[in-house]
Amino acid sequence: MNVIINVIGPEITLKREIALDRGSQTFKDVLGSLLDQKKGPWKRIVKKDLSLTEGYVVLVNGRNIMSLEGLETKIHEGDEITFTVIVAGG
Amino acid sequence: MKGVCGRLLEIDLTQGETKNLSIPDEMFEKYLGGRGLGARLLFDMLPAKTDPLSPGNILIFLTGPLTGTLVPGSSKFVVVTKSPLTHGWCDSYSSGRLSLELKKVGYDGMVIRGKSNHPCYLRISDSGVDIREADSIWGKDSFEAERILKEVEVRPPAGVTSIGPAGERLCKFASINSDLYRQAARGGVGAVMGSKNLKAIVIKGTGGLKPHDRRKLIELNQRNSQRSRKSEVAQARMKYGTPLTLNITHLGGILPTKNFQFGTWEKALKKIDAEGVNRTVISHKACISCFMPCGLMTRVSKGKYRGSTIEGPEYETLSMFGPNQLIASLPTIIQANVLCDKLGLDTISTGNVIGFAMECFERGLISPAQTEGLEIRFGDNEASLMAIEMIATREGFGDILAEGVRSVAEHIGEGSERFAMHVKGMEFPGYEPRGAFGSALSYAVSPRGACHRRAWPPAREILGDLPPYTVEGKAEMIRELYDENSILHSLLVCDFHSKFIPLSLDDYSHYFQAVTGESLSENDFLVIAGRIESLIRMFNLREGLTRKDDTLPQRTLFEPLPDGPAKGQYIGEENLNRMLDEYYELRGWDSSGVPTEETHKKYQL
Repeated sequence: MNVIINVIGPEITLKREIALDRGSQTFKDVLGSLLDQKKGPWKRIVKKDLSLTEGYVVLVNGRNIMSLEGLETKIHEGDEITFTVIVAGG
Repeated sequence: MKGVCGRLLEIDLTQGETKNLSIPDEMFEKYLGGRGLGARLLFDMLPAKTDPLSPGNILIFLTGPLTGTLVPGSSKFVVVTKSPLTHGWCDSYSSGRLSLELKKVGYDGMVIRGKSNHPCYLRISDSGVDIREADSIWGKDSFEAERILKEVEVRPPAGVTSIGPAGERLCKFASINSDLYRQAARGGVGAVMGSKNLKAIVIKGTGGLKPHDRRKLIELNQRNSQRSRKSEVAQARMKYGTPLTLNITHLGGILPTKNFQFGTWEKALKKIDAEGVNRTVISHKACISCFMPCGLMTRVSKGKYRGSTIEGPEYETLSMFGPNQLIASLPTIIQANVLCDKLGLDTISTGNVIGFAMECFERGLISPAQTEGLEIRFGDNEASLMAIEMIATREGFGDILAEGVRSVAEHIGEGSERFAMHVKGMEFPGYEPRGAFGSALSYAVSPRGACHRRAWPPAREILGDLPPYTVEGKAEMIRELYDENSILHSLLVCDFHSKFIPLSLDDYSHYFQAVTGESLSENDFLVIAGRIESLIRMFNLREGLTRKDDTLPQRTLFEPLPDGPAKGQYIGEENLNRMLDEYYELRGWDSSGVPTEETHKKYQL
């Protein structure tokens, strides 16, 4: 399954398409899959217990997973997953 | 109380006289300073129903109890007046040396009344106030006026603030400029200054105030500076500035696009978002009294606007001149920012008004015959820049646009008020409320009109865990966010530190104690916030603004958003009314939005 990943923090990476295991059905699975990758910022952003580094949140298709189903949020082909630091103001 | 001077400078431009006004400690204990003190002063000193552009209006510049100290982000000042745009309460914030110099000459603020019979500027120093003729700078843009004044009047550093041609011509959303790149921009404070024939203020002092406990201040700064260095949130903010917000509002579907017709704009990415702006950054800049250099100096490196340099553009400018007008050219937006700053215009209202004109033009509601031949279409970079100059000079169609989007819609008619995006006459900033319902309530109840600075709901609805498309819990959320900012804007500190380090109200109570020697708990702060918000409500009620003005444009209320995560969402009258009822109740106001007798007693209003 392919998903689009954005990372917004001290470094920004937008619209990277990542292939995940076919078994990845929830956001929790996605996190596990990302942590298995050797490259990328995942070990800095995601802790071993799958919680996020302080100040980071995750949006799935523009919605915070905490207002969806948290780690159990269903992920589908083509979904856009964003790991972002808190921003504010303009 | 330490940290404050206990007096204001009152200047009557009609009489050419000045006097000192004493402010007792009790006033600071009840209202802190800045927004809070401004509320008390405006309510007490301005006669009801005063015409905002008449000599009878007063223009108040205020600092806060933490101004002029080592507290991070404490170099801010607020301009309080009755707005010519909304005919209600107006507080507009800026940063710069002016605030420090005011304290150094021994004042917490100044109240300017009357009208000079010729263009003038004020020269304020330890030895007093001179009202001087402004013939050499009247008609000059703000950058040039500031340069001339610094050259002829004082050796920098000095506090200089001025209006541009837009303020001189009473454009209803004219700004007051400081230290070149900082503006008190919202609500038309520059027009009020222009209506008094006051071009500029120069302040240079030599005194200063000693904090209660300087060692503690240094300790607090060391600790908080260390926290900011460890925080990825703060690091990202310092590197990318407010343009980061554009990436999030686009993802969340709340990025105003094509005059608030849509909520996302893919074309903005990598061009005018955090990454796009980052490519033009030439340096990072911190305000005086701050250890976080989160300001970005940018420069256009090639093309027609090569060399254009600005501190910014901030998110609000990017959103209103970018997606809202379908402009994806960063050089054009930087040039628009430069023009607005020089000419003395609020970039939010200007961008909003031009976006509205573009929609009217494309719908055939206005023709080139009415716009002096200007074909003002979405995506037309040149037309957008030309419109800015026409507004500032009130040339032709610009004279109509300079009155604000509510007035433009009244002038054009044909149902255009349906998509004139304002509340109480003040133009929407860069957040689409249909994708985060709390913003709808925040805009509706904001006493100065559609405003993003009283509360920033995306923090809870897009980045937080509150579901965005419901009304449950939104009144409470807005009350909490308003109260926090009410305190920050009365202490008069930058609200970014509270979000990015993050500093809590408890952290600020430590700073407050170190500066003033007085102890206020977080709970004390919240009581003060409740008092301030109710007093400002009373001011607006007195000026004729009521529940019916706590409303939203028809586009927001009834048109489903056609794209993005919030596709199909709209606010609806029932939802708005429910949120208003709940918010009023939480504030201790009756169903008409009038503070109850009990609230009067509770806050000693």
